[in-house]
Amino acid sequence: MNQLNRFGIAAAAAAAMSFVSIHAAQNGAEPARGGAQQQNVPTPRTPDGHPDLSGMWGGGGGGGGAVKPDEKGNLVQLTQGRGCSKQQFDLGNCQPGINFERDSGVRQRMGPEIPMYKPEFWERVQYLDRNGTQEDPEFHCKPAGVPRMGPPAKIVQTPTEVILLYAQGNQFRVIPIDGRPHDPIKSQDTTWYGDAVGKWEGDTLVVDIVGFNDESWIEWPGWFHSNNMHVTEKFTRTGNALRWEAIVEDPDVLTEPYHVEGRTLRVNPNPKATLQEDLPCEERDAVHMVTKERG
Amino acid sequence: MKKVFGLLAIVALSLAAKPAVAHHALQAEFDTAKRGEFTGTLTKFAMINPHVRWFFDVKKADGTMDKWEITGAGPQALRQNGMTRIFSVGQTLKVSYAPARDGSNTGRVVTFTFPDGRTVTMYHEDPNNPNDL
Repeated sequence: MNQLNRFGIAAAAAAAMSFVSIHAAQNGAEPARGGAQQQNVPTPRTPDGHPDLSGMWGGGGGGGGAVKPDEKGNLVQLTQGRGCSKQQFDLGNCQPGINFERDSGVRQRMGPEIPMYKPEFWERVQYLDRNGTQEDPEFHCKPAGVPRMGPPAKIVQTPTEVILLYAQGNQFRVIPIDGRPHDPIKSQDTTWYGDAVGKWEGDTLVVDIVGFNDESWIEWPGWFHSNNMHVTEKFTRTGNALRWEAIVEDPDVLTEPYHVEGRTLRVNPNPKATLQEDLPCEERDAVHMVTKERG
Repeated sequence: MKKVFGLLAIVALSLAAKPAVAHHALQAEFDTAKRGEFTGTLTKFAMINPHVRWFFDVKKADGTMDKWEITGAGPQALRQNGMTRIFSVGQTLKVSYAPARDGSNTGRVVTFTFPDGRTVTMYHEDPNNPNDL
């Protein structure tokens, strides 16, 4: 058995294991990391009684701190493909990875659910995946769009809107939450984030989004969509945890709704945490690539 | 067998979250099992996404100049580590890099060596692992 085959088996087993753990977490059988702490904190609420989603979300954990020069002034900065917690760093348990890009590619293609495309689009999805360095819009510095951009890094909530701020690409979205319907003109637009309107359903903010273009991808493995895609995003704050979920409906290309792998973020406890300006993106690699396949 | 499961568990844990790093198909562009080296004058340092760039003039034996373009980590990695001002135009640096597969004057940086002998190593996870693609 060659090294690649052995790795393939290990990766498949690993993906199966992470599938199990993700489902356990979603079913409440296993609290998310830091779950106990999150559950013991009352959910902050605004004067109108709704959960307050405001805050910096994510970050504040992991990483080994800034690199320090050795006694000769030499610096070593290595990009860890696999995030390790501070505890793992401190204990020396942050294992260096092998096959950084390949690992990532396997993981990207193996979520707990994959979108079910109509048979006539199967070849197209495979083509887009296998030609990712040429076809992936994000690879060419275009926006990720909704839902690929994931949850925001910061939320500012007012009684009538939420302002979502993203760490990558200086992106923002402003979403009314006063119960208004879609604007008939804006909802015909063809954009990367779509036309979004939100409303409270109990303690969950439900955002309904239409008016997309057909250029963004749902996710990394060539999962394209039509400009009739309809996305429902859900934001639920419990204590100091924010759960983000997204459901994609696209009857033009999908046979059933697709549930994007949800994410649970911790509130960032650092009072100095802030969003930095992200730097411009300039694609200079594609011309030098000898294959079109990514990880 | 126990060892195998231990390894699988480590891999499973490490893959439990989708990587946040953008993937730019390093393996499709550079041969990370090989190393090249030149000494050149830094003409431009670009803090851009998805990867920062260093541009060099490299004098050839016949006195003419070659232009080289070296790529590295994402700009955030340098910013978080306070490394954005350690490079300046006009510096003479020795560059060790993984060469481009297409033979162009481009590479993925492994180590910069400054004239005073200090080194800055910047790589993915393990500069000595040829399989770290």
